[in-house]
Amino acid sequence: MNSNKMKNIFLADDDADDRMFFEDALKKVAISTQLTVSNDGLELMNNLETIMEPPPPDVIFLDLNMPRKNGFQCLEEIKNIHKLKDIPIVIFSTTTNEDAVNKTYQHGANHYICKPHSFELLVKAIETVLKLEMWQKPQPPKEKFVLAFA
Amino acid sequence: MPENKLSDTIRELAFQMEEKEKRAAELIIANEELIFQNGEKEKRAAELIIANKELAFQNEEKENRAAELIIANKELAFQNKEKEKRAAELIIANEELIFQNEEKENRAAELIIANKELAFQNEEKENRAAELIIANKELAFQNLEKEKRAAELIIANEELIFQNGEKENRAAELIIANKELAFQNEEKENRAAELNIANKELAFQNVEKEKRAAELIIANKELIFQNGEKENRAAELIIANEELIFQNGEKENRAAELIIANKELIFQNGEKEKRAAELFIANKELESFTYISSHDLQEPLRKIQTFATRLIADEFQNLSDKGKEYVLRMQDAANRMQTLIDDLLAYSRITISERKFETTHLSPIIEAVINDFKEIIAANHATIEVGKMYDAHIIPFQFRQLMHNIIGNALKFSNPDRPPHIIIKSRNIKGNEVKDQKLLSEKEYCHITVTDNGIGFEPQYKDHIFELFKRLHHKEKITGTGIGLTIVKKIVENHNGVITARGELNKGASFDIYIPSI
Repeated sequence: MNSNKMKNIFLADDDADDRMFFEDALKKVAISTQLTVSNDGLELMNNLETIMEPPPPDVIFLDLNMPRKNGFQCLEEIKNIHKLKDIPIVIFSTTTNEDAVNKTYQHGANHYICKPHSFELLVKAIETVLKLEMWQKPQPPKEKFVLAFA
Repeated sequence: MPENKLSDTIRELAFQMEEKEKRAAELIIANEELIFQNGEKEKRAAELIIANKELAFQNEEKENRAAELIIANKELAFQNKEKEKRAAELIIANEELIFQNEEKENRAAELIIANKELAFQNEEKENRAAELIIANKELAFQNLEKEKRAAELIIANEELIFQNGEKENRAAELIIANKELAFQNEEKENRAAELNIANKELAFQNVEKEKRAAELIIANKELIFQNGEKENRAAELIIANEELIFQNGEKENRAAELIIANKELIFQNGEKEKRAAELFIANKELESFTYISSHDLQEPLRKIQTFATRLIADEFQNLSDKGKEYVLRMQDAANRMQTLIDDLLAYSRITISERKFETTHLSPIIEAVINDFKEIIAANHATIEVGKMYDAHIIPFQFRQLMHNIIGNALKFSNPDRPPHIIIKSRNIKGNEVKDQKLLSEKEYCHITVTDNGIGFEPQYKDHIFELFKRLHHKEKITGTGIGLTIVKKIVENHNGVITARGELNKGASFDIYIPSI
């Protein structure tokens, strides 16, 4: 990933507050980004298909608990689409359940951010993940991190 | 004068002598008289002695006689009493005899009837016998007649013999006829003899019947006595029967009561089972409600906290001092709520999560927990002594949480005047070594003691401290939600163990945990 180039970020989250937090946090990250927001999983998949023209997404942030199509379903579908399967996926959820977290990794998620209770921590989490992705290109395999903030 | 005088004196003397002689003779006579009288008196005395003896003897005899009479009198009194008793007995016996007599009269009346019957039969038989005698006499008369006839025939025969000649044939015929008659006679005599025998037989039978009647009288008496006995017995049986019927009634009443009581118990059991099932469902619902609600509470709370951080980060300078204070207080409240929700979640996880038991050594877990607190331990200059640890049958992650909460409490509730000092010890014991009904007496337990020198608590709160949301301290002073020890208790219960607490205000607290070794 070219660090100079504007990063193309996708977010799927049905929670308006969380979408707002994410957009605001992303603006605070010292990386130039462009954000495409989807209100649920189905909308994300549609967006991924229609906006397949370059530039493709650099990172997809995916909530788990969403109407119409949940995070697990999106993850499975993305990993089965050849053009999309190598895009890093960051799970962005409130769930701290160990089984759920493990399941996302098994389905090919790259990172897991547990939605923090502080705006500063959210900014740091997004920033950390994006930096990791920039440094580690090309991957896989790569180390898995769980950034769980209590 | 002296001569006169002398002579007078002599005369006087002579006279006196004479007088004396007379007197002596009189005295001799009187003496003899006296001797005689004495002899008489002696004889009389001897007679009197004899008479006296006789009287004494008679007296003795009379006394003997009197004594005998007293004895005889007593004997008579005794005999009188005996006679009275005997009389009473005789009255009873008499009554008995009267009753028996009556019975006998009844029987006699019956016998008279039976006797009359027999007499009638006898009469009949006698009539028959008389008839037979008449028939006999008739036969005897006929025999006589026939003999007469035979004699006449002999005479006629003789006449005929005398006539001889042509009449010989006739004679021979008559001889035959005669023989025939003799045979018939003989037959009639046999018949008479047979009748005599039959008569004797009847007489014998009569005697037999009389004997039989006597026997029947005796048998009858026996039967009457037996009937009496049977009636007594029957009366007793009727009483016994009534008693049995009453008892049966009582038993049936009791059985009916028991059936009702039984139905009531069955109904109550059913109700209890329903109630238990309802409680089980309610419990499950409550557990999942706790989990879901605390999980769902997280979402809005997280947003409040995030907005608060944003307000503080971006808008703080725009707020008045009051506004700044309000925002900080709001954030503080939100953070406390988060701790509360986290603890509730932990509690519900302990309640509903799967329980995988392992027999594990406790040392590594305790070491790991102490390691979790190393910063706090260092900051507070706390010391933790860990004694010898043993194996226990535990759910490892739950046991870790248990030790975490207890050691965490010991550090949290430390006395500001002295550095925390925590002692952790363990030993293996049998359930019966501890006075707690929940422990199985023969089971092996690991007894873990955690003692601290913190602020402690008043002894009366030793059970309350395990209750949900039970805080003994003001929340301003001590952070926490009051769920920690509730989780501890729940974990110990999940291990089929027991936990008790001891405390003394400002001296420290001590927890005794008993968890099965195997």
